[in-house]
Amino acid sequence: MGYTMAEKILGAHAGGEPARAGDVVVANVDFSMIHDGRAANALKMVAKLGAKSLPSASKTAFVLDHYSPPPNIEAANTHKAMREFADAHGAVLYDVGDGICHQVMPEGGHLTCGDLIIGTDTHSVTYGAFNAFSTGVEGTDVTAVMATGKLWFRVPETIRIELKGALQPGVWAKDITLTMLGRLGAEGANYRALEYVGSAVSAMEIDDRMTLANHAAELGAKAAILEADAKTLAWLEAHGARPPRPVTADPDANYVDRIVIDASALVPQVARRHEIDDVVGVPEVQGQKINFALIGTCTNGRLDDIRQAAAILKGQRIAKGVRMIVTPASRQVYLAAAREGLLEVLTRAGASVEAAGCGTCVNITGHLITGDGDVAISSANRNFKGRLGNDKSEIWIASAATVAASALTGMITDPREVAGGKWTAGRAA
Amino acid sequence: MNTHIKSRVHLLGDNINTDTQCSSKYLPGKDNAYVAQHAFEKTAPDFAARFKAGEVIVAGKNFGINSSREQAVHIMRMMGVAAIVAQSFGRQFFRNCINNGLPVVECDISDIADGDEIAIDLAAGSVTVAARGIKRTVAALPPAVQSILAEGGLIAFLQKHPDWNAA
Repeated sequence: MGYTMAEKILGAHAGGEPARAGDVVVANVDFSMIHDGRAANALKMVAKLGAKSLPSASKTAFVLDHYSPPPNIEAANTHKAMREFADAHGAVLYDVGDGICHQVMPEGGHLTCGDLIIGTDTHSVTYGAFNAFSTGVEGTDVTAVMATGKLWFRVPETIRIELKGALQPGVWAKDITLTMLGRLGAEGANYRALEYVGSAVSAMEIDDRMTLANHAAELGAKAAILEADAKTLAWLEAHGARPPRPVTADPDANYVDRIVIDASALVPQVARRHEIDDVVGVPEVQGQKINFALIGTCTNGRLDDIRQAAAILKGQRIAKGVRMIVTPASRQVYLAAAREGLLEVLTRAGASVEAAGCGTCVNITGHLITGDGDVAISSANRNFKGRLGNDKSEIWIASAATVAASALTGMITDPREVAGGKWTAGRAA
Repeated sequence: MNTHIKSRVHLLGDNINTDTQCSSKYLPGKDNAYVAQHAFEKTAPDFAARFKAGEVIVAGKNFGINSSREQAVHIMRMMGVAAIVAQSFGRQFFRNCINNGLPVVECDISDIADGDEIAIDLAAGSVTVAARGIKRTVAALPPAVQSILAEGGLIAFLQKHPDWNAA
């Protein structure tokens, strides 16, 4: 019997032969990431271990993105400690405004095809877009890796998801991941690795592929892995990544489930208030009033997301009473959007553009708290009650295109029904 | 670590999010001792007042879902939670428990009630509630994971076995 991508990557890092689902392996980790939301705990674990040296700290990125900029003394002091640690141990530092961990890791060339990557964040599954096995862990795990270069993993069972056909213009990877959440339920793929394959994946640009892998976190997945193709290799090379070691699954690999989704039949999706797996087609909730529109986060704050919004809002003005915030995922994304004139388009339309970071995903910087009865539509990944600091407000989740179309009209709107809403990036038809 | 645990059950429900119920993620500046005094109170009022060190949490499906701060496990260790038995666990939470020496057992919990006396044999892989005639076999944890638990967690394990070799 053949092997899945997860079994091959974990096995290759644990001594050579592929591993089997259910095995526990101790594997060499290629690169690690710690962000400021977990760094205080991680540094406590480093102190507790008391190792004489941390030889793999140089293969670790310290990213100041969640508390960016820091809203209180505790967070500012955590940042200070992170800068000092990075200096002392040779870790790679990404400071306030550089961007979200899941964007700066690939942009910085820290990962490549076939890699085993860990990060102190559930959405560390994002790097699977580059044909890597990547998973979220905690401070103890990163401490172990900085000291020994290795970590223990239980090899996960895999679900193979084939996305056949082609997405219609105005429909994006976010609409696929929301469909998956509606179908499997939140945590419906708990412990599992996902393999996303098929024509609709091949047609996607890298930005959208990252959304596909990223949102697997809400499914509870341990990893989400895409195959590498010419687009993947070109992107990695352009960002200075190490030489790729692409991995594919064997035709006779063992899967716990196989799911086929016809991408051609999908319409834009939205997760309704409070529940990420209460997912319906946008046409079903068309007309739901909104007064906050948020574009950003590690799920949908990349250049193609900002382009979707600008295509819809060019020469337009967002609806009266709607507040809109756009947070580019990284400094590179911010600069690219500035060069293309997208930030001017969005600012003229009435949006506010923030410095790169985790932004308005969760109320930890305290710079966006919704009022009683407010309804936000957001391109983020979580919408549980109170996520933006007020139990009496609502968050609905959708693609950047749907968020922008909704900002334009003041109510949840199918992007395919507004001018510019069928913009498609370089996606092959 | 004791592989035989016999103690009182504190029953919690499904989909318990330990970030919101047992961490300071949304309580900036509050320390572990403060959070421990308020742990799980949103779902089980007075939980901290009723819980005594050495007792066991029994919960439904997806215990510890979401981002799952490791801090939650540090707080539960501080409270003296001897083990957690649940229908299923969030992936990250399960890992955090192993890494911090808190035994976790995935097991059918039907018919187990709050206040029951439960006996867990981690080595043999069994969960017993004698008064209700319940005896369930559970899959024993893989040996590599048992070694980490036996040392009280991953940091202690690596202090003793910096080459990961516990054999």
